[in-house]
Amino acid sequence: MAQEFSNQKASEPLLAAWIKWTMDFWESMAQMGPGPVATAGVGGGAAPEAGAVRDPWLAALQLWQAFFSLLTEPGTVAAVFQGIKAPSETILRMAQAGWGGYFYLHQQWLAAWQGVGISEGEYGYENLDQDIFKICNEIYENDFRQLLNLPQLHLTGLPQNRISRATDKFNQFQTAMAEFIYLLFLPVKKSLRAMGAVGITFGEDNLPIEFKEYYKRWLKILEGHYMTLFQSEQYSRTMSQALNALEDFATAKQELLADALEVLGLPSPRDLDELYREIYLLKKRTRLIAKKLDQSEPSGEEG
Amino acid sequence: MDRPKIPVDLILAKMAAEAEEAQHRLEKARDIFLGPLATDIGTTPHEVVYQEDRVRLKYYRPEEVRLKTPLLLLHALFNRETVLDLQPDRSVVQNLLKEGMEVYLIDWGAPTRKDRFLTLDDHINGYLDNIVDFIRRRHGISQVNLMGVCLGGTFGVIYAALYPKKIRNLITTVAPTHFDTPKGLLHIWLKEIDVDRLVDAFGNLPGNLVNVAFLLLNPPRLLLDKYLGFLENMDNKDFVENFIRMEKWIFDSPDVPGETLRQLVKDLYQENLLVQSQMELGGRRVDLGQVTMPLLNIYGQYDHLVPPEACEVLTHKVGSRDTEDLCLDTGHIGIYVSARFQKEMVPMIAAWLLAREGG
Repeated sequence: MAQEFSNQKASEPLLAAWIKWTMDFWESMAQMGPGPVATAGVGGGAAPEAGAVRDPWLAALQLWQAFFSLLTEPGTVAAVFQGIKAPSETILRMAQAGWGGYFYLHQQWLAAWQGVGISEGEYGYENLDQDIFKICNEIYENDFRQLLNLPQLHLTGLPQNRISRATDKFNQFQTAMAEFIYLLFLPVKKSLRAMGAVGITFGEDNLPIEFKEYYKRWLKILEGHYMTLFQSEQYSRTMSQALNALEDFATAKQELLADALEVLGLPSPRDLDELYREIYLLKKRTRLIAKKLDQSEPSGEEG
Repeated sequence: MDRPKIPVDLILAKMAAEAEEAQHRLEKARDIFLGPLATDIGTTPHEVVYQEDRVRLKYYRPEEVRLKTPLLLLHALFNRETVLDLQPDRSVVQNLLKEGMEVYLIDWGAPTRKDRFLTLDDHINGYLDNIVDFIRRRHGISQVNLMGVCLGGTFGVIYAALYPKKIRNLITTVAPTHFDTPKGLLHIWLKEIDVDRLVDAFGNLPGNLVNVAFLLLNPPRLLLDKYLGFLENMDNKDFVENFIRMEKWIFDSPDVPGETLRQLVKDLYQENLLVQSQMELGGRRVDLGQVTMPLLNIYGQYDHLVPPEACEVLTHKVGSRDTEDLCLDTGHIGIYVSARFQKEMVPMIAAWLLAREGG
């Protein structure tokens, strides 16, 4: 009981720290929100049209603050957990590992958001804000991947290694693809920002009333951003990583499939490939001999 | 700082006014989609005169033969040859027939896993050489005219260097031969790619991956603007039919045999061996100095796939003294599907060949 209490006590500062980060995060989000939103309460100086957007933001923030103030009060956590009797040490450790990962992710996410709005320079794709993918990958590798590498118990007769490997490669492929897709989305984000300066592109007194004109201008800007991205080292590297991850997953999947086919007594793709290679070589040799025979005939023309 | 105010109210009012028109368009489009649509491609009558494994040779006969040397059309492995016969009023094949040419067109077919070991040597020294020999025998002639499209043109250059006596005239259209250029995205991307991993993992390069790669060359145009254009014109039957024909062709990329891809990427895109006359095929060096026949080199000024820089070097590297570069103000596909360019390009090709027909 004493042990349980001390574990619970130990997790409280962590929780409090996380709550503080969360509060900071939502405060900064509120400041970045639409219109001149005041975080300390409903401000009187805001424009009336901004109120409709601002109020839900403030309401959500206040609710969030109230909820977490309650949580940070001493004894609240104990009250929450009082119904749970003696969770085993293993469960607590696993939960701590999971929370630890989540806190870390949250902290990094917050740091990333604080960087939003800092200009990367026009048409620049170096030093991208992609730490989130690195962090996700780190958490996966530190907390989850090791579970897939547990030693196999051969007694079950299951191809656990193959399944774990395919699962691992699938997860890595998902991470790499997410990063690649994020990169592909960046020009859209950048071009929309550029359209904010629409007065510069059209001239302030010459703003068209045709939606199509704005679309055409946006498309042109978007194309420019894509061309810059596609020629960047960052893109080549991310694309190669995504492709490599896809190839690794395809290979792992094939190996798993080959095991399953073997159990069913069916030839695997590798068996068929060996057969195809033999047929290919035989055909090639046969054709070469046939060609030589044709050429030995007097009517054959040669280039 | 005050931002300029976009007249959102005026824009919305205009869009509302256009909504009624859009509804009419939608109703008309419904009738078009539910009615009969002519969307077949490659419909010009032909005869399959030769077949080896998956590779077929199509023969098109003109109403009146004006050039005695037949023309062999050679397409790339990455797309289907049907782009040369996409729609009746914009068919390169039909326009060549109108000029009085007997036309042969190679259909590389759809490679399957059993084709993964086929090499570049098998395609050029094997299938292509056998086809050329077949045409020579069929017509009782010693040489044929060869016209290559895109990487088919690159194949044509390699073949002409290895078998110069079998080719009377060589025409290359948007054919890359100089691969060490940062202008084309494909050239940049393929330089970085680990082709060994790719081939070992997939066997053949999947056609779907090829489709995605082509779409990524210009996502705003190919994934967005093109389809918005379709929505705007879906009450136009001709437009809808042509659009669907083009869609069929674009998304019909076959798989590419793995070993062929391996050599293509390594020798051409990564090492740029061809233009340096250092490439080897079937134990023989591909020496561009051996390309001694007349050469017409056509490419597009706005080609984002095979930029002019990848094409224009060829005429300076070959051994022929009768060479001509022709840079058209169009893109990669425009040469084959634009009515305007077909009207200009095909008669010009016919005249160029006729002038070199000889006795």
